[in-house]
Amino acid sequence: MSEATFEPPRRGAWRARVARRTAGSLVVNAVIALFALFPILWGLSTSLKPKDEIVAYPPRLLPSAVTFEHYMRVFNDSVGHYILNSTIVTAAAIVLTLAAGALGGYALARFQFRGRGMAMVFIVGVMSIPIASLLVPTYSTLSVLGLLNTRTGLVLLYTAYQLPIVIWTLYGYFLSLPVELEQAARIDGYSSSRVLWRIVLPLSKPGLVAAALFVAVFSWNDFVVAVTMTSSESVRTLPVAIYNYLGFYGREWGPLLAASIISIIPIVAGFLFLQRYFVSGLTGGGTKG
Amino acid sequence: MRASDARSAYLMFLPVLIIEAALVVAPLIISGWYSLYNVRYFKIRGFVGFDNYWHILTSSSVLNSLFVTAIFSFGALIFTFTLGFALALWLQKDTATNVAMRAIVLIPYMIAMLVGSMLLKWIYARESGLSPMIFGAFGFGDVSILADPQLAMGGLVFNAMWRDSAFAMILLLAGLKSVPVQIFAAARVDGASRLYIFWRIVMPLLRIPILITVIRLLIHFINTLTFPLVLTGGGPANSTETLVLYMFRRGFQDSVLGEANALAILIFVGNMVFVAMLLLIFRKAQRL
Repeated sequence: MSEATFEPPRRGAWRARVARRTAGSLVVNAVIALFALFPILWGLSTSLKPKDEIVAYPPRLLPSAVTFEHYMRVFNDSVGHYILNSTIVTAAAIVLTLAAGALGGYALARFQFRGRGMAMVFIVGVMSIPIASLLVPTYSTLSVLGLLNTRTGLVLLYTAYQLPIVIWTLYGYFLSLPVELEQAARIDGYSSSRVLWRIVLPLSKPGLVAAALFVAVFSWNDFVVAVTMTSSESVRTLPVAIYNYLGFYGREWGPLLAASIISIIPIVAGFLFLQRYFVSGLTGGGTKG
Repeated sequence: MRASDARSAYLMFLPVLIIEAALVVAPLIISGWYSLYNVRYFKIRGFVGFDNYWHILTSSSVLNSLFVTAIFSFGALIFTFTLGFALALWLQKDTATNVAMRAIVLIPYMIAMLVGSMLLKWIYARESGLSPMIFGAFGFGDVSILADPQLAMGGLVFNAMWRDSAFAMILLLAGLKSVPVQIFAAARVDGASRLYIFWRIVMPLLRIPILITVIRLLIHFINTLTFPLVLTGGGPANSTETLVLYMFRRGFQDSVLGEANALAILIFVGNMVFVAMLLLIFRKAQRL
């Protein structure tokens, strides 16, 4: 590339080089996509194969005939109940985190009060504590509070873990809104809670959506917290159920992978539609692990 | 600033404070307290002072898991960072193709960690037929990846790379965005080679984003429980039992909660060292 060409190359040669380059980058992109997606597609293919085809050697890339027997089987083994649990916990965590996060973020963005700087450091500090080092202590705490093995306990923990990033996101968003609107409303006699509810929140929809998505992905995907804090079947969430299927079905990979694919579907669908909200949040916040 | 304003600000911040105090700060305090007692199956059996800590620091299992954690973290860091950096450079320009490719690469990072490890466990499993086919082609025949200590560690590292290089890519892309494109163009016009541009221009300008990415990846890998728990359960012969997994087992399988809490406190303090480094870098970066 660096050798200088003093006479302009012929048109044909130029075209050929462009074509070679496009083909080359197409190949590289295909390899990258295959690397990222192969495990998922292979799992999907396996989950649709008839039982005896799953362990056939040499392995078949695609099922000879698509079957939903493994999906039927996990639904018979109450996967529906676990999906429901995951949905309830996720929805409750979103509501609670956004409510507390909007109030806290607004206080930080628009009010000067003693201890504000400390509150910011506290938020960043909590954001950087890795959950693993909290597991054992949290287990003891929940047992003291009587919240072990309850959905409420999970909701409260997810809220505590996601609040810092939600406050951070909303704080940034509130700062970007023009303050004059709020001042005008204050002059008209609105209380600060009414300003937040009637003026600020309706203007902050993109920020709220981004924040809700973090909480949703975290709560729907969480395995480590749920597997330590819950044990009974009635409160079990989907990831914990998949982990338990590993022992339950033993070496039967069909139902195991069917349950895994079920867990992925809402995440992949939501992510592809709402991608821009995710990426902005991944880089923000800086220290969250 | 009216007094009522400050009061409403405190009221607004109160729910946050209560939740974090009860579920993040209180556990750490309780943990510090429990760590000084002999706690088995929820029953506090007596004050033991620093015995739990002494026991941990002299235990050969802890020493082994520290070693395993170090190998896994550095192995995962090197591969994840390198691939993430390559992806960031390759997908740097905001063309439609690159935006779509970034979304594809991010999918393994978005799905549940547990599910990702489950999918890879199926690929590693001998019954799936993939590993015998691939290893067979190299003449190794019948190898079971997760049953061999070294291959099992490789399997863990691959899981980390597959899932988290997209995370590294996103962090580094944000760093690359802050480098003015004209610099590259000017260097190219001056006849600099691609390698020269990479080592002498990109790397120095990206010093801070690179440091941040490395530390955040390290914190993440040191604290990862899901990969070893799902893929190997710590085996074969404890060769993949990381520190966090060892703590998890002591606490929740052996129910030796006093010792597990002491271990949790030590892991927490270790993490805080990395977090402090991160905060220092941020402050330094803001002053530049």
